[in-house]
Amino acid sequence: MNDRPILHVTGLRARVADEDSDILNGVDLAMRRGQIHAIMGPNGSGKSTLAKVIAGHPAYEATAGSVAFQGEDLLEMEPDERAQAGVFMAFQYPVAIPGVSIANFLRTALQARLEDGEELDLFDFQELLMERMELLDMEPSFAQRHVNDGFSGGEKKRNEILQMAVLKPALAVMDETDSGLDIDALRIVAHGVNTLKAENPDMSVLLITHYQRMLNYITPDVVHVMVKGRIVESGGPEVALGLEERGYEQYRRMQVA
Amino acid sequence: MTQMAPPRQRAVRALNRDTVMETGLVDPSWLSARREEAWETYLRTPLPSTRSEEWRYTDIARMLPLEGIVPNSVDAADGAGGARAVPEGLRRAMDEDERSAGRVVEVDGRVVSAELEDALVAKGVVLDSLRAAARRGDPVVEALLATRAVPATDGKFAALNAALWSDGVFLRVPRGVLLDKPIRLSRWVSRPGTATFSRILIVADEMSQVSFVDEILSPDFESVTLANAAVELFSHRGAQVQYVSIQRMGRGGFYLANQRTLAKRDSTLDTLNVALGGSVGRVDLNARLLGPGANSDMLGLYFGDGDQHFDFNTSQDHVAADARSDLLYKGALDEAARGVFRGIIRVHEGAQRTDAYQTNRNLLLSDRAVATSLPNLEIEADDVRCSHGATVGQLDTEALFYLMSRGLDRAQAERVVVKGFLGEVLTRLPLGGVAEKVTRAIEAKLAVRG
Ligand SMILES: Nc1ncnc2c1ncn2[C@@H]1O[C@H](COP(=O)(O)OP(=O)(O)OP(=O)(O)O)[C@@H](O)[C@H]1O
Ligand SMILES: [Mg+2]
Repeated sequence: MNDRPILHVTGLRARVADEDSDILNGVDLAMRRGQIHAIMGPNGSGKSTLAKVIAGHPAYEATAGSVAFQGEDLLEMEPDERAQAGVFMAFQYPVAIPGVSIANFLRTALQARLEDGEELDLFDFQELLMERMELLDMEPSFAQRHVNDGFSGGEKKRNEILQMAVLKPALAVMDETDSGLDIDALRIVAHGVNTLKAENPDMSVLLITHYQRMLNYITPDVVHVMVKGRIVESGGPEVALGLEERGYEQYRRMQVA
Repeated sequence: MTQMAPPRQRAVRALNRDTVMETGLVDPSWLSARREEAWETYLRTPLPSTRSEEWRYTDIARMLPLEGIVPNSVDAADGAGGARAVPEGLRRAMDEDERSAGRVVEVDGRVVSAELEDALVAKGVVLDSLRAAARRGDPVVEALLATRAVPATDGKFAALNAALWSDGVFLRVPRGVLLDKPIRLSRWVSRPGTATFSRILIVADEMSQVSFVDEILSPDFESVTLANAAVELFSHRGAQVQYVSIQRMGRGGFYLANQRTLAKRDSTLDTLNVALGGSVGRVDLNARLLGPGANSDMLGLYFGDGDQHFDFNTSQDHVAADARSDLLYKGALDEAARGVFRGIIRVHEGAQRTDAYQTNRNLLLSDRAVATSLPNLEIEADDVRCSHGATVGQLDTEALFYLMSRGLDRAQAERVVVKGFLGEVLTRLPLGGVAEKVTRAIEAKLAVRG
């Protein structure tokens, strides 16, 4: 068995570049290959910041600690290198790319993963795309729409999952992919994630969510609670259930102490 | 490789009255008279200076020294329509095209071939060398050439063109005739240091439909080489006309065009100006909405790098009530390129229920690139819907991060954003292979980005 964590975050502090206080105040997190971890926490506690630091958003800088992905120092890598290595982040707020169709975008992203001189087989690509869209219960015409341009909140989230399903990451960081989805869409998205997981049991998922609801469909191995830029509790699914009942008040008080 | 005959020995021409007279020798008297009059107008008209609003950002006197420039004009001995090989560079561009209903090839201001589908000839469509049509005494040419659309009085260069134009295209589509494929004009300029003056005259009769793609190319030049065009477009009641200009000249090329569209009742007259090549490009486009129900979509796309300079001066003249015009010009500027957009919507008195829109968006890809955008409105009616807007922005870092987080490197991500940004214009005018061709040209330019 490979005991090396797929993702190992230690003592991570990070801030918005050029600001003078940290948003992440020493995050420790270790995920084993194939695990599903959930992160819950109040608004503004730093969940998205953690996700973006993992993905390599240029607005943030790590001021202390480390992030290792399969033993490699992620913080030294460009965002595209991280993606190529197998890291994927489903954005909490996906960005519109006007004039670029989803199909074209995904084709470019897959092509970028090939060696120089290698050409993506367009027929295979089309087949993969159609199969993935079917899995997520999407109309084929959706692929012709411009990336997130004029999308509803739910469409944006589904588009994130479609990309994830096509790009097949080793580590998927899903930042509130469940927010903004109706009940049916939530089920479809969860089914999509579970299918990907079944296809590739080694895929690891870091699931950021506010709702227990999502965890009814995707069962986490570990649930973390993040407050004020720190992980204040980690445990099994029962942690999420506890939050559902009591909220974050307990942790807030704990922080002050 | 095709071998080109060396140019005939002859005295070097200049921009002067003798050249105008010589050019007019073979023309019918109405035309040579029009040339002479245009020359007088040219002499009377001062060279545009940066003190005038319309030329403020394009110092034409400095950029385009007219002394020493040699006009490519056609005299009797040149003979219009003589067979001549199509230059390799032009041939390549033509091979990229999808099917056409007709095709004209112009080299150094001279039409070397004009072909039209037999079925269209039978229906009375005329596609010809403009010079030949004028010499034949075509009454439509005589009535409309440099009179109602781009007359000599339109400005210094309109006058120069009217005096010295060597050839161009005449296209007339009779009532009710619909063309399912575009007519293409492929133009090539080969002689450095010369000035080419050509004209396009398109008349679409009632309820007819035609699209026209005008592409100009050249090699790179060491010396300033001018291609000047006067484009006159008429759409009669209920007709539909689309005109596309694709400017892909080489460096040293100076492209200067005066375009005017005259749209009558219930007709559609759309234009797309694509500027990718040349050192300097200046287009003056005036759209006139002359009848109720007239509609003009006016699209523009420019992508400059190096020290390219593109200047668009547009106007939307709503003369009649109940007409619509919608302008969208988008440009990306890299390195030290410069883009100028100056547009005005004029709603004339009585042009009630006008719908007129104007948008110019610029994307700066380098901190040395400059975009100037001057949208304007002049409204003399009270019941109108008008809007204008301009933006100058940089590459969106969030968009770049989004793309990079999917595995595209920075350069690829930038290319995707630029292509998407410019591509929006192309989706607005779906026309036989134009979008694909322009996209390929944009990709080629993006591929050499430093
Ligand atoms: N780019 C930024 N510029 C300025 N402040 C930022 C930036 N990114 C994050 N912050 C601040 O850092 C804190 C944590 O933000 P973050 O988005 O990580 O929270 P979150 O836990 O994801 O919240 P939510 O549950 O609302 O999504 C907030 O106070 C936020 O305002
Ligand atoms: Mg968040």
